[in-house]
Amino acid sequence: PKNLKCTTHNLHKMICTWDVSSRRRHGQTDICYTTNDLPPPVCFKTKEKRVEIPVPESSSTVTITTNSMSGTAFATKEFEIHKKDVLFVPVTPRILSLTPDFATSTINLKWSDNGSVFPYGLDAFWQIQILRKETMEKVTEVSYYSKLTHEDVILSWNWTSDMPLECTSHYVKIRCYINVTQFVGLKDWSDWSPVEVIPGKDADPSGSGVFPLDTVVAVGSNVTFCCVHEEDQNVTNMSYGSKPYPMIQLSRRSYAIRVLNASASDTSGTNVVCRLKNEMMDGTVLFVGYAPDIPQNLSCETPNFLTIKCTWKPGRPSGLYGKRRTKYNLFERKSGKNVSCEVNEINREPVCGFPVLAHQKTYDFILGVSNPIGQTESSSLLVDITQRVHPKMPEKLTISGNNSTSIHLSWFINGSFAEIRLLCQIEISSGDSEQKLHNVSMPGGKFSSYAAQLNALHPYTKYQFRVRCSAADHFWRWSDWSRVEEHTTS
Amino acid sequence: MAGADSPSAALRRRDLCTRGIRLVGKMRSDVIDLLDTYVERQGLDASASVAAVEGVPPAAVERWDEQTGTQRLLENLAAYRAFRVLLAQMLEEQREQLGEADAALGRALASVLLQVSAFAYHLEELLQLESRSPPSEEGDGPPPQPHLSLFEQKLRGLGVLRELAQWAVRSARDLRQLAKPSPGTGSAPGLAESP
Repeated sequence: PKNLKCTTHNLHKMICTWDVSSRRRHGQTDICYTTNDLPPPVCFKTKEKRVEIPVPESSSTVTITTNSMSGTAFATKEFEIHKKDVLFVPVTPRILSLTPDFATSTINLKWSDNGSVFPYGLDAFWQIQILRKETMEKVTEVSYYSKLTHEDVILSWNWTSDMPLECTSHYVKIRCYINVTQFVGLKDWSDWSPVEVIPGKDADPSGSGVFPLDTVVAVGSNVTFCCVHEEDQNVTNMSYGSKPYPMIQLSRRSYAIRVLNASASDTSGTNVVCRLKNEMMDGTVLFVGYAPDIPQNLSCETPNFLTIKCTWKPGRPSGLYGKRRTKYNLFERKSGKNVSCEVNEINREPVCGFPVLAHQKTYDFILGVSNPIGQTESSSLLVDITQRVHPKMPEKLTISGNNSTSIHLSWFINGSFAEIRLLCQIEISSGDSEQKLHNVSMPGGKFSSYAAQLNALHPYTKYQFRVRCSAADHFWRWSDWSRVEEHTTS
Repeated sequence: MAGADSPSAALRRRDLCTRGIRLVGKMRSDVIDLLDTYVERQGLDASASVAAVEGVPPAAVERWDEQTGTQRLLENLAAYRAFRVLLAQMLEEQREQLGEADAALGRALASVLLQVSAFAYHLEELLQLESRSPPSEEGDGPPPQPHLSLFEQKLRGLGVLRELAQWAVRSARDLRQLAKPSPGTGSAPGLAESP
């Protein structure tokens, strides 16, 4: 027996292996060992050329006797094994699960750190290799660090591929190195785990298609598209928009193109077309746009104490439309109420309505905004709606004249203003004389009409009147002017 | 075999056929314009070859000459009912995908859909002229579409519009055939007879 080597996976037991020089056939082998020179030796027989014995505190003596088939001793050798000569190699890690998320081209890897075998607090280093293509080319090798806790902990790690997982099979393997500081022996990386695979569509006999399918990316992104074709087909060319691109072969049935720094797409998206033989065609659509800007100048007012209307500056258009458009929601912190806004992506003056809540005067708004590329929100806006009244245009302005120098005006305002006083302004114009403004204030009413008396008019004179109103106490904005009404004094 | 028409029925049919020919002629020019807009807005290649659209009888027909008037009308009606379903679906997809972004394309699609519906109604009138009630619509028309990717939707839309343009040509020929007076009698034959 020669070349005795001992390896431990758990710092307690070690597996010793040896070689046997002669070519004659052997029978059983006799093993005797003593640990740290403490008699008596432990002896037993084995047919293998390996034995598992305790890791010594300092050293162990191992005596190996090889015998012939009939049991007569061939050769005996005594080995002195010092702890410093023992090699520590962690147990080969095993991947517990490898889960693909095709929507985000992300792979989630879970494995156990086998920490229960080791003392608390040891540093563990993991190397994870991702391989691709039928040729299992290494795509990346990543280091991951963790601390052992004397328990078996399931570790989890995510990796996002630069191409859709459907394009070709992705393989993963992992190994580890544990920095056992108190172990004086040699230390090395574990073996690589068995490879786990996320099969691509090109591994599926009936798999085909262009990927990613109908996805959305930010302007400036680099995107890899692939075309997986059926067995009896082949790809003649692939184009992005109207431009053909050089193809990269991923496997027998999968070809890719790489688009760099993608620019904003048209409203219907940019087509990625894979032309196959016999004029067949497959494709996908890419939408390239912008994440939403932070909404600016959020402003809210009430026209009628029934709803609150908020407006804002949306910022740069996202370039995304339809179901991928930028969506807004108005969140009110005090009530916790959330309203989604109907905003048409073409309209650059968006408006959102929020119901006036019973017994609530002040509102703390935040405008949330999101689209498939990103999300953000406005700064919050605290408003007291009694100080943000912007009435609707007065209607049904009617004039009745009871004598030659005074008239009676009445008008209607749609809304419920019982909580405030209204200030209304009547504009009086006639022929060539200068326009006059007459202010009148009155208690607000609920969907009611309002009236005013004008005196000191000139007889036999044709006048034009119109009216607008606002909140009397906390002026915010005038309503629009009502329609003009004419009246001639008698 | 149905005998020849009464003069008033023949006159009525010729009037319907003439108006039908005008309607389908207008429809065809609108479809051609729409096709150009569609190809451009959807970023498609005008020469792209597209598979036949499932659920629409092909416009090309063998032994066109031998078809009876009723067969012509029934085939036309089946086709335009199918186009009505497909165009409505295209309009829905267009709204879902583009929202307000391409209102012009949406309006053009809606306009053609309206004309297709009108022409289908026109064909029903022609059939009723022969006291022949139009077939019920249940179970007719294109099968429910499997979920299509956006690119497949774009290609199918192209296929629908191309086929509709072909059908418009055929319908005009069919209606001209129906409007022809039968030789000698000076009056248009009953639909069952007219080749």
